[in-house]
Amino acid sequence: MKIEKISILPGIDKENKKENSGKIDIFKGQKIGIVGPTGSGKSQLLYDIEKLAYGETKTKRKIQINNKKADNQLKTDPIRKIIGYLTQHMNFMTDTNVYNFLKTHIKTRGKYRTEEETEKLIEKVINDANTLTGEKIKRNTNLLILSGGQSRSLMISDLANISESPIILIDEIENAGIKIKQALNLLIKKEKIIFLVTHNPILALDTDKRLVMKNGGISKNISTSSKEKEIASYLSWIDEYFLEIREGIREGKQIEKLKLNCNPIK
Amino acid sequence: MKIIIFGGTPGSGKTSMIKFAIQELKEKNIHYVKFDVLNTKDDLLIKEKFNISTEKKISGDVCPDHYAALEIPKIISQNKDKDFIIMETAGLCLRCSPYVKEGLAVNVLNILAGNPSNYGPLLSDADVVIVSKGDLISQAEREIFRSKIIEVNKNALIIDGNGLTGEGAIDVAEKIRKTKETKENLTLKHSMPTAICGYCYGNKKISSQETLKKYNQGKELKSRLPNLNCGKCGFKSCNEFIRAVLDKRTDENKCPYIKNGS
Repeated sequence: MKIEKISILPGIDKENKKENSGKIDIFKGQKIGIVGPTGSGKSQLLYDIEKLAYGETKTKRKIQINNKKADNQLKTDPIRKIIGYLTQHMNFMTDTNVYNFLKTHIKTRGKYRTEEETEKLIEKVINDANTLTGEKIKRNTNLLILSGGQSRSLMISDLANISESPIILIDEIENAGIKIKQALNLLIKKEKIIFLVTHNPILALDTDKRLVMKNGGISKNISTSSKEKEIASYLSWIDEYFLEIREGIREGKQIEKLKLNCNPIK
Repeated sequence: MKIIIFGGTPGSGKTSMIKFAIQELKEKNIHYVKFDVLNTKDDLLIKEKFNISTEKKISGDVCPDHYAALEIPKIISQNKDKDFIIMETAGLCLRCSPYVKEGLAVNVLNILAGNPSNYGPLLSDADVVIVSKGDLISQAEREIFRSKIIEVNKNALIIDGNGLTGEGAIDVAEKIRKTKETKENLTLKHSMPTAICGYCYGNKKISSQETLKKYNQGKELKSRLPNLNCGKCGFKSCNEFIRAVLDKRTDENKCPYIKNGS
């Protein structure tokens, strides 16, 4: 199925007031930030989108795909599911090893063709996950003993390689202690629609627009200005510098020099 | 009048989901029955919150599902004027399901409580499966869990539920509204295990007379058996053998020790 556009029709906030955001249209290739204080309804908005809600959730929002109500199967059948969702969870709950988990998910998503292809895909998922985290994940490691960063990396790589959905929801990717930039590069490919819940200003400003949440409702819909994007690129420089020092400390170096020339990173 | 039966392991979120469903159905005339083994206050809490008629049924030493089946005729006869009778069962051992064919069977299934294939008729006989606590795990695990439910029960409507926010309650309420009116003569979806009453000897018709008849037949046969559980008849125990004879799946002469009937 070709996704050209997803729309959010207004619902109600926590005080049952109608959202005054109007119909919000998001086109393929766009990246949308979702910002706001904790408890303002950011994760609930992602949930509504994942569920392709049509008035049956507590916010009463309606989500349309290509201007229409989504087919029921798109909501429930993992094989036809169009939404990939990276939740805030840092741990797995299933008692099995990495290899068996990935194989089961490949079958559930209807991606199993030949044994050989499946083996290759599993290897790619694990290798990609290992580019995001410090300690390497092995195929026979039990899911339950993976660290927070390893679990998160595996969830991201699973989402990028196995779910391969045209619409991706990402809930606070910055919380995991993993390499955020590489993680986003894995997830964000051309022509996808990305929703990004974030408290990180660089991620929030590196979007096409951002929805500001307040009291359970969408209170503002802001298009990112070119000035904001410019500021984001300066912030990226500061962030890179920060990470450089972090890595240095992790490796046991002493930090004696201060860099003061800030250059924007495109 | 429609009968809605909720089953699920303790802590799965049955009571919470029922509260949200009652909220959605508030224009209707509802009677709520809570079955439990030792004690409960849910009947009082729900009565206070929604101002509907409620009652509790404490099973004590009797298996709570047997007890529920024994009490259902009384509950129905006292609540014929209601739109819905919502029964919440204790749901403990997973051997049985407390559901009746003529009503709606709702299983609340905790996604953290293990593999769906470990559940028996509680899951496989349900018309609606509410998967609770799904917000606590990753999307990939949720998808795998869902496909495992389908392996056990192809026909049920699977709903993602959340006992804290009420997510899923609108879908459940919709399904409850669409349930057919319950007529007389209820039948259990799944027979109960062998123990002490007519239902224990395999009766499935919910009727005091039928169950007494079956009980007397079972008792009479039991008095003529050696109760050795020797297995020579091909069954694990004399009780299983009695059920098989009453179901006409085997003949009483298969027991080498049986005394002839008087």
